[in-house]
Amino acid sequence: MTRWRPKALAAGIILSVAVPFLPLVLWSLSERWFFPGLWPQQWGLRAWQHLLDAAGGQIASGLAHSTALAAATAAVSLVVGVPAGRALGLYAFRGKALAVLLVVLPLIVPPLSVAMGLHLWFIRLGLAETFAGVVLVHLTVCLPYTVFVMWGVFANYDPDFEAQARCLGASALAVAWRVTLPLVWPGILVAGLFSFLLSWSQYLSTLIIGGGRVLTLPILLFALMGSGDRPVAAAVSLVFVAPALLVLLVSARHLGRGGLMGVR
Amino acid sequence: MGDLRLEGLALGYGPEAVVRDLTLSVADGEMMSLLGPSGAGKTTILRAVAGFIRPRAGRVLIDGRPVDDLPPERRAVVMVFQKALLFPFLDVAGNIGFGLKMQGLDPGEIRRRVDAIMDLTGLAGLGRRKVHEISGGQQQRAALARALVLQPAVLLLDEPLSSLDANLRQQMREFIQQIQAETRVTTLFVTHDQGEALMMSHRVSLLLGGRLRQTGTPRQLFYRPADPDVARFFGGENFFDGRMENGLLKTAFGDFPAPDTENNGRRPLATIRPEDVRLAPEAGNGSVMGEVTQTRFEGMATRIWIRCDGGLVVALTPESRWTAGQRLAVVFPPDKVRVFPA
Repeated sequence: MTRWRPKALAAGIILSVAVPFLPLVLWSLSERWFFPGLWPQQWGLRAWQHLLDAAGGQIASGLAHSTALAAATAAVSLVVGVPAGRALGLYAFRGKALAVLLVVLPLIVPPLSVAMGLHLWFIRLGLAETFAGVVLVHLTVCLPYTVFVMWGVFANYDPDFEAQARCLGASALAVAWRVTLPLVWPGILVAGLFSFLLSWSQYLSTLIIGGGRVLTLPILLFALMGSGDRPVAAAVSLVFVAPALLVLLVSARHLGRGGLMGVR
Repeated sequence: MGDLRLEGLALGYGPEAVVRDLTLSVADGEMMSLLGPSGAGKTTILRAVAGFIRPRAGRVLIDGRPVDDLPPERRAVVMVFQKALLFPFLDVAGNIGFGLKMQGLDPGEIRRRVDAIMDLTGLAGLGRRKVHEISGGQQQRAALARALVLQPAVLLLDEPLSSLDANLRQQMREFIQQIQAETRVTTLFVTHDQGEALMMSHRVSLLLGGRLRQTGTPRQLFYRPADPDVARFFGGENFFDGRMENGLLKTAFGDFPAPDTENNGRRPLATIRPEDVRLAPEAGNGSVMGEVTQTRFEGMATRIWIRCDGGLVVALTPESRWTAGQRLAVVFPPDKVRVFPA
C-alpha cells in the first residue's frame, strides 16, 4: 500500500462522519435561511442564545435526565447481562435454547408493541411515568445487546485463567476483581457504551412509558422540531450528539490501546 | 516442601467415574510422573489435588493433613497448566508476583523474591515486558516461575511442554529437571509422552483406563512391567505363553526362569521387548527358526516381523540387512524375558 492511501482513507472516514453534521452547525448559526440559498442569508447566535437563556433550564434538565437514565440503564444491563453472557458463553445447561429465545424476543417484537404492551402492566404496577419504569423499558432494548456482546466475549474466554489465579492464592472474590474483570473489560466497556447510547437515543418507549413526565433530550428535541424552529432544533441536536460523541472518542482511545491480547 | 498422598480417590463428572480407587504417594522432594494416554483421567487427578474437583470418595493429604475441605487458594499446591495462562493485563514481573501480592506481601519483598526467581529461571531483565512480547518458551518458564516463587508444598505440572515445538520441548525438559533438583519441590508431572516421563522423573505412575496400573522407577516400568497392558504401553509387542514346570516357563521359544511364578501347571504370559530379540542367520543354541514377513525402516532401527512356529515375533534391530522372505534364527535371551505374575 502506498503512503497516501491510509491518509486518504482516514480523511474519507472523517469527512463522511463530519459532513452530515455540517448542515446542523449551519442551521444552528443561521437567522434566516430560505430556498434556494446555499448558505444562510443571515447569520446569528439566536438559537444558541435561546438554548442558554430561555430554554436553558429545560435543556439542562433534559440532559441530566438523559444522562441519569442512560447510565442507570447501562449499569443494570451490565449487572444482568455480564453473568448471563458468561452462562451462555461458558456453560451448557438445560433450557439454553429457550433462554436465548427469551433474550432475543424483545428485538424481534416491534418496540412499539413492547412499549404499548408493557404500558398497561406498568400502570397496574405503578411503574408508568416513573424513572424506574423508563429504565425497565429501555432495558428491553439494551439487555439483549449486552447479553450478546458478553456471550461473544465469554465464548472466547478461558476459565482456566481463573483456576490458575485460584491456585496462586486468590480468593473467589479476588479472582473476579483482579482476573475476570480485567480480562473481559474491553467487552464490558463496549456493552456498557452500547447500552448507554441505545438508551440515550430512545424516543418512543420513553414517550409511552414516561408519559411526558420523564423529559429526556430526545423528547425535548422532537417537541422543538415540531415547533418548526429549525435553528433551535439544530442546536439541540448538536447538544444531543456531543456527549455520545465524547464518550465514543474516549472509549475508542481506551479500546485501541492494544496489549489486551491474551496469552493462553 | 511436603509430601502428597492420595488415598482411594474416585473422581468423575457424570454418572461414570473417570478415575477409580486411586492410591498414590509422592515423597517430599520427589519428581513423580503421572503417565497415561489422553483421556485416562490424568488432568482430572491434578484438578482434584488442586481443589477444583471434589472427589466422590477418598482423600487428598498434603504433609499428612487432609485438604479436602480447603478451597484451592488455601492449599499449598500450585498447578501449572498446559497453556502458560499468563495474565495479559500484567507484565512478566506482575504475573510472577501475582501470588505474592495475593498473600499481601509488601512491594519491596515481592520485587526481591520475583527478581530471585527470575534469575533462577533465566528470565532476568524481562520483568517489564508484556507477556506477548516474550517467546513461547519464556512464557512457559514465566508460568513455572509464577508457581515456584510461592514455594508450594506440591507443584502440579499438567503437560506444560505439549504446546512447545520439539526442540524447545527438549530444552524445557532439562530445564524443569534442573529447577526441580535445585528447588527440591515435590512435583507431580502429568504427561502422555512415555519418553518424557522416563527421562524426567524419579518415579513413574502409569494410569490406564482410570486405574493406576503400576508405580515404580522408570527402569522398573520399562523392564519389569506389571502386566501386559503396561508392557504394551511402553512398546511391548511380543507376548507368548507357556507351561510352568519347576520354576521354569516352558514355551515355544525356549525355557525361561520365572522366579515370581511358581504354581506348576498354569499358563502365564511372558514378553520380550522388540529390541531385545536377537537375530542370527543360522540356527544356534536356544534359537527358533522363522521367516521374515515384513520390514520397516525407522531410522535408528529397523522393525522386522518374523513368523515362527510359536507365533509372530517383532524385532527391532540396528541392522538393516534383513528382507522379507528371508529365513533366520530368533533368540530370546533368558535375562530379557519378563514372565508376568499369574
